[in-house]
Parts: sequence; C-alpha cells; structure tokens
Amino acid sequence: MSDPQFIKVRYRISEQVNREGGMTAKMAGDRARRELSAEEEKARQAVRETIRKLEGLCRDRNSTMDAVYDLSTEVLDVAGLYDDRPLSESAYALCELSDRLRTQGRVDWSAVNVCTEAMKVIWGAEGPDRDQIRDVLEGLWALVDYVKVAEKEEPAA
Amino acid sequence: MSGFGLPSDVRMNLERSVVLLVDDNAQALELLSAMFRGFGVHRQVKSSSAADAQNIVKNREIDLIVIDTQMPGMSGYDFVRWLRREAPPEYRFTPVIMLTGHAARATVESSRDSGANFILAKPFTPEVLLQRIYWVAKDERQIVSCDSYVGPDRRFKNLGPPIGKKGRRKDDLSGKVGLAKEPNMVQDEIDMLMRPTRVAL
Repeated sequence: MSDPQFIKVRYRISEQVNREGGMTAKMAGDRARRELSAEEEKARQAVRETIRKLEGLCRDRNSTMDAVYDLSTEVLDVAGLYDDRPLSESAYALCELSDRLRTQGRVDWSAVNVCTEAMKVIWGAEGPDRDQIRDVLEGLWALVDYVKVAEKEEPAA
Repeated sequence: MSGFGLPSDVRMNLERSVVLLVDDNAQALELLSAMFRGFGVHRQVKSSSAADAQNIVKNREIDLIVIDTQMPGMSGYDFVRWLRREAPPEYRFTPVIMLTGHAARATVESSRDSGANFILAKPFTPEVLLQRIYWVAKDERQIVSCDSYVGPDRRFKNLGPPIGKKGRRKDDLSGKVGLAKEPNMVQDEIDMLMRPTRVAL
C-alpha cells in the first residue's frame, strides 16, 4: 500500500468568481428562476409523458423493475430541479419501492400502480389541493415500508 | 441573508467560467443549463453521457463539472473515479458537483467514495446550487490521493486561531468557508457530506 499524498490545489473558478462584474447571489437566483419558469411547460409535459409510460408498464405488466426505476428517476430528475417537493417525494418513493423490489427479485405491479397513480394526482394538483398531498405521500411511504417489512421477513420464511 | 446560508449580496462572476453539464435526461440537462444561464454562465458544454464527458475533459479546459449520478453505462460515480485517477494530470482535480436523485442501494458506497467535491440531493433550489458553486470556489481542502480514495480531504480540521494570531498551523483552515449556516439542509445531504468513512492511510 502506497503512502497517501496530500495535494494543494487552486481551482480556476476560485479566481474567476472574484473578478470585477458578475452579479449578486440574489440576482443570480432570481435570474435562474426566470430561466426555469420559461422551461416549465415543456418540463411539465415531459413529466406527464413519463407518467404515461409508467401507466403503460403497469397495464402491460411485462417489464422489469429496472424499467420502473429508470422512469421514476426521470420524474425525480426533472421535478427535483424545480424543487417540487411533493412530486419529487412521490417519485422518490417509487424509486425506493422499485429498487427494493428488484433487489429482492420481486415484482409487484399493484404497488407500482398505486405509486404511479399518486404521482399523476400530485402532478395535476394545484393550489389548495397540494395541501392535501401530505396524506397521499404518507400512504406511499407506508407502502414502501410494507415492502421493507417483507424484505426483513424473507430470510425467516 | 437569502435564507440559504449564502448572503444575498455576495457577488460572483461566472462569466468566464466553462462549465460541463452531464445528464442523460435531456429535459433535466436543459433545465440545468437554464439555471446556469441564470447564474451568468455563458460558456456551457453539455453532454448526455459520462463517456462523452470523458472526451470533452481530455480536449478542453473545464472549470467546473456538474454531473448526474445515475446514468446508463458509465455512472457519475465512475466518471469521477476515472477523472480523479486516470484523466490527464492537468485536469484530474477539476472540481465536481454531483447531483443525485435516488441513492440506489447498489451505489451508496460508490457515492461515499467517489471523490466529488460536493454531492447535492434533489430536490433543490437554484440558490442551493449556487451556494455549492460558491463553496467549491472557496474550498481550501487539500486533495488526498491514496489507494482507496482520491478526492477532497473529508477529515475535519480545526480552523485554528484567527489569521495573524500566534499559534496557527500551516494547514489550519482560514474560516473563509464559514458560511454553511443552512437551516433547510435535508438529512440526506448532511449524511452524504458528513458520513465518517474508513480510509486506509
């Protein structure tokens, strides 16, 4: 085993950020939000399309949990950049569920369908409806916990 | 304060920075690019795969890499491991911010040992991403290179006495990175950053 080396580095970006000009953090944040807003409709449609694909998988029931996992990460990838916490959390729950199922070599389309439908509801919810979403999310986590319990019980069976 | 730990009146100039954005999800890549446009980054290089990003890194100077963790083929973790160990030496320590959605069980260890400067869990706001860029710019950690890990030093150091006071050691941190007061930091992020690890030294 070789000895560890400790290397001092100076990043170019460290010098760049201190140059004259630029903008304040507030201005940069506001501008970034405006840029994101301009893309929002396209992003919403992309998420809707991904949810449609998930619905298709639930209908056909002949895909793997890997495919479910990949699509749920697609939703999380986009919703996460809008800091859309309810939609991100629902996608995260489906990621967790499908990851656990595939780790156990199991398939449970009913559970996947529940998550997908919940995601669709959250995607479509606006304003005050979003306040009711907490119950839906808690239900999803109960479902994920159920898979966890099944996983723990498996060796004893 | 902006509420995210980074004072809202801090000025940053990213106009000359070249940022490489890597994500296999085309929509997410566009959104990330939009965010960086907002930050004033005009020189963006976009890539839809880690393999493609390898070629870019070999052929042009990049100031910051922002890469998604989970991608088909070569993952973001594998890319950072390659970068830190096998990339041309002059580009090896290019700062990296990794973006992670869901930490799949198979990749938890990879995430811990990847050697990225910061790992940012989705969902996040533009302000939080900007804060991480600021942290990278102010990052004074040395790079540790050993058999099992190459990346920023993850061990905690004392800030030491203030600059100019007696008793400071050569490698005491200056305290310039002392802006990490972030009440809304989620547990996953904290775990990712703070998790103690065994490193064979």
